[in-house]
Amino acid sequence: MARPLRPAAHPRSAIFAPLGDEGRATRVEKRIAEAIYSGVLADGERLPSEPELAAMLGVATVTAREALVALRAQGLVTTTRGRGGGSFVNRPRHPDDAVLNGRLAATSNVELRDRATLYGVIVAGCAEVAAAYAAEEDVALMRELVLAPDETDAARWRHADAELMLSLAALTQSARLTRELVRLEAAFGALVRLPLMDPGFRTGARLRQVALLDALECADGDAARVQARDHVVQSLAWLLAQKAALPGSGATSDSGGH
Amino acid sequence: MTVQATHDLEPPAAVVATYFSDVFAHLDAMRAAMEALFANGPVSAAEVSDAVAPMAARTLADPRRMGAGFVAARRALSDKALYLAWWQGENRQLLAEAEAPDSGDALDYTRHEWFRVPERTHRPHVAGPYVDYVCTDEYVLTATVPVLVDDQMVGVVGADTLVETLELMVLPSLRAVGEGATVVNGAGRAVVSQSPRIATGSRVDVARSREALGCGDLEFAVVIPA
Repeated sequence: MARPLRPAAHPRSAIFAPLGDEGRATRVEKRIAEAIYSGVLADGERLPSEPELAAMLGVATVTAREALVALRAQGLVTTTRGRGGGSFVNRPRHPDDAVLNGRLAATSNVELRDRATLYGVIVAGCAEVAAAYAAEEDVALMRELVLAPDETDAARWRHADAELMLSLAALTQSARLTRELVRLEAAFGALVRLPLMDPGFRTGARLRQVALLDALECADGDAARVQARDHVVQSLAWLLAQKAALPGSGATSDSGGH
Repeated sequence: MTVQATHDLEPPAAVVATYFSDVFAHLDAMRAAMEALFANGPVSAAEVSDAVAPMAARTLADPRRMGAGFVAARRALSDKALYLAWWQGENRQLLAEAEAPDSGDALDYTRHEWFRVPERTHRPHVAGPYVDYVCTDEYVLTATVPVLVDDQMVGVVGADTLVETLELMVLPSLRAVGEGATVVNGAGRAVVSQSPRIATGSRVDVARSREALGCGDLEFAVVIPA
């Protein structure tokens, strides 16, 4: 019997591989921060000790310590003393738009497209398969997740959209496909739903959600696939435009520029 | 549904009925204990966990069970809005809270069939087959029994069984019947089928089935499809 894994195992060796020389503490910090945001390092997971971390990354212990101090300051790591103590991953709840914009600015266009491609293929595949299994009552339950057009809370839009995608995956009756989506949600879900801060984007997203559910109800796998895919394509287009409008790389401006 | 007993559907029906009556015997003991606990006034998440832990462990002593425990109704506990005193997996790990993978937000499990049906009917229910992304991330059947205090549901006690586990138990007797014999749930979805053409989770036209036999008190039935 397979043990459920959440998030699934990743090529973790890349995180702890030796680094070059310049700006080492910052690079250690950035690499670990990205691993936490993407879910490669799980919430609550214990990080290696300072000397272990230093040895793995090929940096001085003081450098590892400096990086951990910075991660603590960002709230990404908590440290406890005494027996059973250590540094633990603290995955941010509700990362705010400034943090997400910072992540967006720090992600290359190539990586954004790459992640969106994989996520889009999985979501579109889920939609196509789900259409074959969806009964009226399944679709009725999912319709409850579609928010009123005048809802203004971006966090609610994000949560509802995430639940819709998870429900869609579950409808495929495939545990492996669902776990794959869960893994991608942890790595990319927060970014793919950043556009829901934009009321104009929400209007379009809501129409796509409704069209997707209509397609499921008609057991129209082709239409369901197209709608699901477009949902991700539109999000990627918004993210690339937003990123282009953000001042400088690594900036954390939340000015929107849209 | 015509019930002409040209094939003996009793053995597979009995396998399903016997398995779940054993599950429900465990759940009924848990339900009685939970009702007694809640009858004494406000209950915290820690208190409910302590009370249900040994009973969940007894249920999970049978390796065919994937998870078991008590899941609170919204705001039924004194200190948590949503809470799962639920143990699962090979390590029988406590779940406590279910989170959305992208944001870490609490997932509202009260929308799911295993919670919603007993809440509406006040009756035991077997939900599924469904992919459970709240708890196990597996393809499961979840048996739940409502815990009622003053006719209000304060939560459910339940146990998960992998669909695969039930398949291993019931497929030999379905094969002995032949004719595409299929176990279906109350919604007419295939749970286990002897037919290579009927996928688990797909809908079977139960009304047109040639023969059918209910699985004891369950909403499940063994049918020979048209």
